[in-house]
Amino acid sequence: MSGLDYTRQEMMAIATGREIRDGELAIFGVGLSMLAGFFAQAHHAPNVRTMTEGGVYGATPVGGLPWGIECNRISSNATSFTNAIDALGFLVASGRCDVGIIGAAEVDKFGNVNTTGIWEGPIGPTFRPPKTRLTGAGGANDIACGAKRTIIMVSHERKRFSEKVAYISSPGYLEGGDARSRHGFNGGGPAAIVTTLGILRPHPETREFELASWFSFSNIEEIKANTGWDLKLAAGAHEAPEPTADELAALRRVDETGALRKKG
Amino acid sequence: MPHEKLISLAEAVRRYTWDGMQYASGAALPVGSDAIVFGRELLRQNRKDLHAIFHCNTQQLNLLAAAGAVTRAECGFSGLEVFGFANGLRRAVESGRLALEDYSNLAIPLRLLGGALNWPFVPATVAIGSDIQYRSAFAPDDYPAQKKIPMVTDPFTGKEIGAFLPLRPDLAAIHVTLADPLGNAIILGTEWSRFELSRAAKKVVLIADALVDTACMRQFPNLVRIPDIIVEAVVHWPFAAWPQSSPGMYDADEEHMVAMNKALATEEGTAAYIRDYIDGVTDIPAYLDRIGRDKVEHLRRSSTSFLLDPFRQWLLAAEEVAP
Repeated sequence: MSGLDYTRQEMMAIATGREIRDGELAIFGVGLSMLAGFFAQAHHAPNVRTMTEGGVYGATPVGGLPWGIECNRISSNATSFTNAIDALGFLVASGRCDVGIIGAAEVDKFGNVNTTGIWEGPIGPTFRPPKTRLTGAGGANDIACGAKRTIIMVSHERKRFSEKVAYISSPGYLEGGDARSRHGFNGGGPAAIVTTLGILRPHPETREFELASWFSFSNIEEIKANTGWDLKLAAGAHEAPEPTADELAALRRVDETGALRKKG
Repeated sequence: MPHEKLISLAEAVRRYTWDGMQYASGAALPVGSDAIVFGRELLRQNRKDLHAIFHCNTQQLNLLAAAGAVTRAECGFSGLEVFGFANGLRRAVESGRLALEDYSNLAIPLRLLGGALNWPFVPATVAIGSDIQYRSAFAPDDYPAQKKIPMVTDPFTGKEIGAFLPLRPDLAAIHVTLADPLGNAIILGTEWSRFELSRAAKKVVLIADALVDTACMRQFPNLVRIPDIIVEAVVHWPFAAWPQSSPGMYDADEEHMVAMNKALATEEGTAAYIRDYIDGVTDIPAYLDRIGRDKVEHLRRSSTSFLLDPFRQWLLAAEEVAP
């Protein structure tokens, strides 16, 4: 242990931010994924070209986690305001965007994401209302279809990690293998699922997500127990480096209101 | 010759809305600029059976759904961003009272673009290959759905691609920051899909936080993304997007965002909300009193208020512009 005090959510955000490289064209969804993205900018990717799906460019959050894309916390230092077709269309669905960070309520072994609803059992041939309605896809579907690669950021609980999601809101590798290539997507699919316990990456051929890294406070058994499919260990799996003091300081400058420090 | 189009909120709803119509609003993102006061007036006039086209859910759709005024809705996103799930909409969907047809945040503006251009369909490279394509709340037995986003052949490559159905809503009530009395509008903040929506809708009513002299439009014509020639009417209503934010004008009212969403989670809470915040709140002074004058001043001191600076000299006082 490094002796630094940090939460699992902070580790997740830092591990997600490490996936973003300097100079990339990047889109961050609203919420915790935005903190992970702007952490990368504050720490190791000062030249990352950021956008939000509203077509808000050049902005960084001021005063903590924005409530939404038009919130004053992200609208007070923008250099350009455009629109949805511009951001999600011209720059993302076109295949031009390098990387997008999206969240998930439920994710499956091929990286398909459900943010639409929770049903009791399979939906069946007739579409019926969910027991619990969630938010729907939003821009995450467009990012999942169009970005060169996506990072899925999700709290690691067994109920969120399913063999097969009840409803695909945002496509990962669909049924696995080369299933994505049957559709007209311009983007490449999820490169990683970063969680509160570790990092999962897709097998290069089957596209099934495997455990690539655990954190200093988690272990393989705990992660397998919290995953709803028979999670395999990726070749070269290892413990992810702990946050450095610099990383943690940069993250906390972005997360001014401590949204990531609320839960252990 | 362009003519003045200022009318009252009540008159706009009387003149341009009816039961069962296709009604579009939700002009920015869930926490941003939206003509929420238009939805409040729809409830005062007891409009029902609305087919709502909202690029994103907002507190307006949340309220209309909670009150039972909407039976069909089409959305790209149906939450309230960091404020969480939209309890009123959620309750209406889970109970089966409202059929919510899901799209994505790019699919909706592309469908509006198709409507604006009067195209037969729009090619889809998103929202395909997922249950957004395969599941239809409007045709629940059609699985995998064949009519929602059908596949067509790209005549150039021979590959299969999705086809979106264009949208042509009967009315769009669009929130704008500044309008002149003729119906020219300037939007501060992201325009989201208000440009496409203003061209796709059969009729457009602007709901403006503030009015400016037409000289302002002549100073900044590049910023006038909605020109008077496509606008039926202009309603002036300060804090029209409250409790959501309007960049340059006011911040989101975090306390009321939470309280309103909590109220809409139950029938009783919704009835109480309508009693306290909608019934009888029919003019601007009563509305600002209901928000609370101290709160109004607090929300106005936004970190984005500098965005309004270039336009302040053309702002019209309320008494100059009473309809």
